[in-house]
Formats: sequence, structure tokens, C-alpha cells
Amino acid sequence: MWNYIVRRTLYNIPVFLSIIFVVMIALRVNDPVSAQLGKNASQEQIDLLTQEYGLDQPFYEQYARFIGKLFTLNFDERSWDQGFPVGEMIINAIPPSMAVTIPTLTITATIAICVGLVSAFFRGRAIDRSLMFIAVIGMSISVLVYIIIGQYWGAFLPSTQYEDWPFQVTVDASAGSSWYFFFKPVNWVSFCMLPVLINVTVALGYDTRFYRAVMVEESQRDYIRTARAKGASTRRVMFVHMLKNAMIPIITRIMISLPFVITGSILIEVYFGIPGMGRTLINAINAKDFPVIQTFTALFAALFIVSNILTDVLYALADPRVRLS
Amino acid sequence: MTMIARPRRRFAIAAACAAVLCSSAGAAEMTTETDSVRAESKVMQLPIRTDGPKSLDPVEGSTTYDNMACAQFYETLLTNKYTNPMEMEPLLLTEMPTSPDGGTTWHFKLKPDVYFHDNECFPDGKGRTIRADDVFYSIKRLADDEHKLENWWLLDGTILGFNEYKDEQNAADEFDYDAPVEGFRKINDLEFEIVLTKPVYRFLYILGMFQTSVVPREAVEYYGQDFSRNPVGTGPFILDTWVPKQSLTANKNPNYHPVYYPERGEWSSADKRNRLHRAAGKQVPFVDRVEFTMFVEDQPMWLEFSKGKLGYTQVPEDYFTDAFDLASKQLKEEWLRKGIRAHSNLLLDFTFRGFNMEDELLGGYTPEKRALRRAISYAIDLDEINKTFYNGRRIVYDGPIPPGLEGHPENHRADAAARGPNLSKAKQLLAEAGYPNGEGLPAIRFYTSQNTLNNAVSEMVKRQLAQVNIKFEPVFLDFSTLIENINKKKAPMFGFAWSSDYPDAENNLALFYGPNEAPGSNHYNYKRPEFDAMYEQVLTMNPSEERTAIYEQMRDMVLEDCAYVGGMARERFYLMNPWLLNCKPTERYYGWFKFLDVDDEARN
Repeated sequence: MWNYIVRRTLYNIPVFLSIIFVVMIALRVNDPVSAQLGKNASQEQIDLLTQEYGLDQPFYEQYARFIGKLFTLNFDERSWDQGFPVGEMIINAIPPSMAVTIPTLTITATIAICVGLVSAFFRGRAIDRSLMFIAVIGMSISVLVYIIIGQYWGAFLPSTQYEDWPFQVTVDASAGSSWYFFFKPVNWVSFCMLPVLINVTVALGYDTRFYRAVMVEESQRDYIRTARAKGASTRRVMFVHMLKNAMIPIITRIMISLPFVITGSILIEVYFGIPGMGRTLINAINAKDFPVIQTFTALFAALFIVSNILTDVLYALADPRVRLS
Repeated sequence: MTMIARPRRRFAIAAACAAVLCSSAGAAEMTTETDSVRAESKVMQLPIRTDGPKSLDPVEGSTTYDNMACAQFYETLLTNKYTNPMEMEPLLLTEMPTSPDGGTTWHFKLKPDVYFHDNECFPDGKGRTIRADDVFYSIKRLADDEHKLENWWLLDGTILGFNEYKDEQNAADEFDYDAPVEGFRKINDLEFEIVLTKPVYRFLYILGMFQTSVVPREAVEYYGQDFSRNPVGTGPFILDTWVPKQSLTANKNPNYHPVYYPERGEWSSADKRNRLHRAAGKQVPFVDRVEFTMFVEDQPMWLEFSKGKLGYTQVPEDYFTDAFDLASKQLKEEWLRKGIRAHSNLLLDFTFRGFNMEDELLGGYTPEKRALRRAISYAIDLDEINKTFYNGRRIVYDGPIPPGLEGHPENHRADAAARGPNLSKAKQLLAEAGYPNGEGLPAIRFYTSQNTLNNAVSEMVKRQLAQVNIKFEPVFLDFSTLIENINKKKAPMFGFAWSSDYPDAENNLALFYGPNEAPGSNHYNYKRPEFDAMYEQVLTMNPSEERTAIYEQMRDMVLEDCAYVGGMARERFYLMNPWLLNCKPTERYYGWFKFLDVDDEARN
């Protein structure tokens, strides 16, 4: 297995380098220095900043320097917009994102798998149709609508009626700069629970439909009929036989979502004031903050590659028929 | 393999849960002390609309939000008056600077009891008093290219020998802050003189701008690159935490020098009706802690204000009719019942659609070229745009000088302007320009930034110009590409806005000064030697009728040449919760937060 992991990692290095290459090229199509300096920049300022940021160097040198930093895990380069080291920004942004994304992923996967199983079991009947109808409704509405309605009806309006209403509209300045703020149960309920509920509501529709399709396919296989013929209980058929054999698509689905645990959700973080990775990235994009965008892109690419490799490993662990070679 | 893995997995999950619980418990202990201090203090929660400051180092700041944050920690020699922000008053000085020679040499006297914040950069962590050398050092930082010369334009060519100093030091291996500048003359630790190259009236305004705040050299050298997030000044508050684009908190400076709330007599009768005078003569700041939360989106800010959590809020465009009656602009009864107060300010704004005067089609100063630009201007109906997109809340005015400043035309109208809509005049001028009925006129390419509002406004302009057969072709770009095109003089016509740095028309007229051509602030690349001569003349003049007359001449010259179509100015509306006292928001400066107070009883 280790041979496989090393080999896959090596195969993915050119992919990773290509992603960085394309992103760096794309970021340099328009003059980044003019964008940074705004409307009233003098030529002297433009030249000065171009030199300071190393953008006067040939592209291959800039590329090699950035790759060098990545491979030595040197994230000391400072944000153009904020002046903070990019590494520090990433470290500070990951915990708040995870405070929302981990519960979202866990809750969504658990509920969606269960609903998928139930739906598949009662395929074509009223309960199945009702669940799928709700799922379609859930996924058809934009997350922005859920956020706006959620903030107003879920946090603002009840708080004007009930003094102790737990959900807050947005993270306020009392959160300060401590990463653990969002992991205190009372704070998590106040600031993260509503975003998690919204995320779950949106994601549930997609996941439920996917898992139902998987379970329906599994439910038509011979081994299910055999299990039933042998007198296995419905619960055993569903949760032992069917679920176990559906693990490959389930793992695929969960592992695809895994990088988003780190990357966060841009809209949710922006509206609820959660200082996570999504918000940091969108701020960097708006500010044309190259060092941050480049590093985040590299990180995201690495996460996807790692999760892909991990998915293959989990396939082998979940299904003995899969051999990593 | 699975059988063996299970207990391990359980152990791992249990360990992870224990770690989270332990860290939560630890976190709870760590925050208890802060929470209790916070509970016993007067805490003021305020919003910063958009994502807040980029830097807390004054010389690197440029935006309103940099200003808002820096002004809590740093102070300038002069400041705007809270009672009338158009006027200046001393802040770190005992009195307004005097000039024995009519504006070339300025004499300054620092207050003797002003201390920098206690900070580890000082011996024993105790802040020292400010000295004349600190003022010179702080101004010299503007010339250091390590700070990207972001604010060099403020003093470029103003102080005797300062440009030479800048060039020499930036060319040297190391920037020497001890090297002398001819125009800096120290008399003693508290008294000094600054000699200018020529009398420049705006110099006093510049000494009130946050970029010229006084900083201690020890702090800059101690923190190095991190000085931008470790502010050490003389201001009323000391930074507690700053989470970029998220929040900023600060505690009261216990050693703040004596500054008093404006006396009763300084307030207008309208202000007195709003009980703004009630803290007259008391020493500031009143609150123990100020907490700023940054809001990129308007809805959370609006809801937080409506809940009573924020002291005040700007009223976003989309929420205007929630709070105000559209016709009367009066606050609605439901808000008044809650004790909420409203305030509005006319901003020193200049929103325009500019022409590139070097463009082959639209530029030039011949009668035909001028006629073409004026025809375009006559065909555009700004009032319709104002009514449709801004609920009629913007002021449409002629000339580049915003309302409230000397040189602004009476009733917002100047005879020299080609103010539309006047379609017959537009058609006549179009014919004079050599394009009768628009025949032979290529499409006008208009560069503007990409957003929903600009798309809609451009559609309206397109329709308006089509009435005189002018083809209008909007090009929507992201802001950086737009700037790049304008800086490289590639945009024939473009949409932009300018907000005055200080309340003097000279600041806006500089937008048409030849040497400021793109990539400088003269994006129109407008070049008229007569205009430039007048601009250089007004730079050295004190406010007077004669200066105002020249402003008007310059304004009309630009209008005659029709270097742009416009302009418009915004009116900013604010709401204040009843628990926030002494609040009269202004965007002219941000040193006024120290005058605010909170009434915790009214909050509950």
C-alpha cells in the first residue's frame, strides 16, 4: 500500500505543478500592481512595488521561487493587502472553518445516508416520494436565500421576542482573535449552529438523492435477494448488507467533500462573519492579494490530491476485492 | 484487520473528543478574566462597513477604513473640529501654527503632557512624551520608499529640501532618518518650524490627515515589518485585538492627554436640540472599550443595528425605505418610537463619466472636438439616472467642485455646463462636430467597472444617447483592469468617482492639473496651460474672494471643454441607537469616536 501511495504522490506532482503554473499565469494577465495601488498611483510607485513584489523578475524565476517555498513549507511571504504572513493567515482561518464544516459534513452524511436507505427501501411509495420532494425543494433554493431568511427569521426576529434566543446574526468583535472561540460550546451554538443548519439543509438535497440512487441500485442486486431469502431482518439487510456494499460510492462522495472541510464555505462565512478560509480567500481575491491567492490555490490543490489518494486507500480498506497495486 | 482496527478507532475518537473538551475548558478559563473586565466596563460596539483597515501604520494607509482605525491610536498635529468638521483646530499642539512670513515658515508648539502608549518598545514599557524629533521622523517616513510612497503625494514639493532628501536617501544603501531636511528646524523639544518651498495653504489640512500622525521611532524599529499591526501612538485608545477584515477592539488609554468635549457655545442650535452639548467641557474619552465589527454585507450590519447591538449604522441604499419616508426623507415613526435618531451628511463626492482628452475620437481642444463632447453631455439625463437608481437622493451638480466647498455653483448649476437633457442642442452640436444626426460617428466605448448597478445605468445612458443617434458601447471590467486601461490612456470614456481628501476645492481641481496626467490623478489627461497656471497660483493663496473667483474660472474652463459628464454627490444617512450618546457622525475625519459615550441603562 505504501508503494502505491508514494507512486500516486509522485504521479500527482506534475499535476500539482501544472495547477500552480496555470494559476500564476492567470494572476499575471492583468497588471497586479496597478490593481493594488488604486486610482492615483504614480509611475514611481508602480515601479517600486513591481520591484518589491519581484514581479520584474522573469516568470520562470517567480515560479521557481514560489515552488521552492511550497516544497520547503515556507509560508512566510506576507499578504500584500494585510501585511500578515500567509502561513499565519491560514493557521488562523482553518479552525473557524472547521467549526462549521466538520459538523456539516458529519450531520449531512449521516442523515443523507439514512434517508437514502429509507427512500430506497420504500422506493416508489409515498414516503419515498415525499422525502425526494423535500430533497428537491431543499436543493432548488439558493444558499443565499437560506442565509438571508435564516439570519432574519432564525436569528434576528426571535431575538427581539426572546431575550435568551441562542442564535446570533453574525460573529461580533467579542470573538477577538482566539482560534478556540468557536469551539466553546456556548459560542458554537450562538455563532455556528445556524450556519451549520443552513449548510445541512442545502447539502442534504444533493446528498440524499445521490445516496438513494446508490441504495436503489444496491437493493436490486442478487445478494440482497439472497439475504432476504435467508430470512435476514429488514434492518440487517439495510444497515449491514446494503450499506456495507454501498461503501465505495459513499466513500467517494464523502472524500470529495473532505477538502471543503478546510476550505470552508464562502457565502456562509461572509454573511455570518466567520473568519474562516472561504472568507479569507474571497477577501484576497477582491484585494488581488497574490501571495494569499497563490498559496491558497496550492493548498487546495494539495488537499484534493491528498483526498484522492486517501479515497483509493479507503476503497481498499472498505472492499477487500480492491487491490492497490 | 478490521477487527483490530476498531478499538484503535474508538480510542482515536475518544482522544479527539477529550482534546476538544480540554481545549474548550482551557479556553473558557483563559477568557473568563477578559469577559469579567468587559462586563464591568463601558463598552461601545460600532460597525465598519466593508472589510476594514489594511494597515494600522499611518504612512501605509489610504482608505477611509485605515483612517477610521488609525485615528483611534494615533494623533495628528491638527484635527477637524467635531462641532464643524470643515474647520481645523490644534490636537497635539497648544495652539494653531503661526506663520510670520505669510505662509512659508510655520511655527509649531507641542503640548507638553502628551505621552505615547505604554508599550514594550520603550524602556520599562512606559510611554514617553512626544518631541519635535518625533514629528520630523513621522513626516520623513512618508519619503521612505519602503512604505511604497503611498502618501508621498501629500507633501511632494511642499517642504524645503524634502524632495532632495527623499531622492538622496532612497538612492542610498540605507535610509538615514537622522539626515537633515532643510525645511525642518528644531527650536527645542517642544517647539519647531517647518519651512515650505512656497506658501501652500493645503499644508495645514495635510497636518490634520491621519497619514501624518506622530509615531515613535522606538516602536517602528522594535516591531519592524509588524509595526503595521502593533500601533503605538498618543491616541485615546490602545489596540487590544485586530482580526483583519473581521474585528478590531481597543481599550481606553489611561494616560491620554487632557482633551475636552467641545464647549456648549461651540454647538449649533440644531445640535443642542439633539443634546449634543450635554457633555460640554468634560475630559474624554468616556468609554473604556471600543469594539469594531467589520461588515462586508449590509444585511448582518442592518440586523445587528436593529437589534440594538451596534451604536450607529450607515443606512445602506437597499434599506433606505425601511427607515425613511422616501419623499420627505424623515425617519419613520416606528424607529422614532424606539428612540432612534437620524443624521445625514453631504459627502464631498465627485462621480463622473470622464473623457480621455488624448483620445483620437473624443479628445482634443478644437471646437469640433469640444462640440462632440458637449453633445454627448447634453444628451445624458443625470436627473433620470438619479431618480431611477438612487431614489433621487444624490445631488446632481455642475463642475468638479462638490457641494459645500468654495467654488461650487449656486443651486448646483453653472452656465458653462452642458447639462442635459437638451436633445436639440445635442443634435446641433453633433452637426457642428461633423456628425450630423450621428452619421459617421463611431461607437463611443465607455469603460466602467463590472457590477449590477453599472450595467443598468449604462443601459440607460445607451438609451439616452441613442435618442441623438450616438452609439454607446459599454465595456465592463473588473476594477483593476479598468484602472490599468485608464492609467495607460486606453479608455476613451470611463466611469469613476473621487472623494475629496480635504475640504478645499483645490483638491478636486488637481484632477485636471496637467502634470498629474495618468497614471496620476488627472485621468482625463486634461492639459491646458492657462488652467495649470491658475492651479499653481491658488496653491499659494489663502481663502479669499479672489481665490474663490479663480476656482470658479477654473471650474468653468473645465466645463467649457467638457472633460467629463457629471457630477453627482452622495448624501450619507446614519441611524443611532438611543444608548449611544454625543454622536454626530462625519466622514471628514475619524478622531471623533473619543467624544462618544454609552448609556448602558438605555441599552437594556
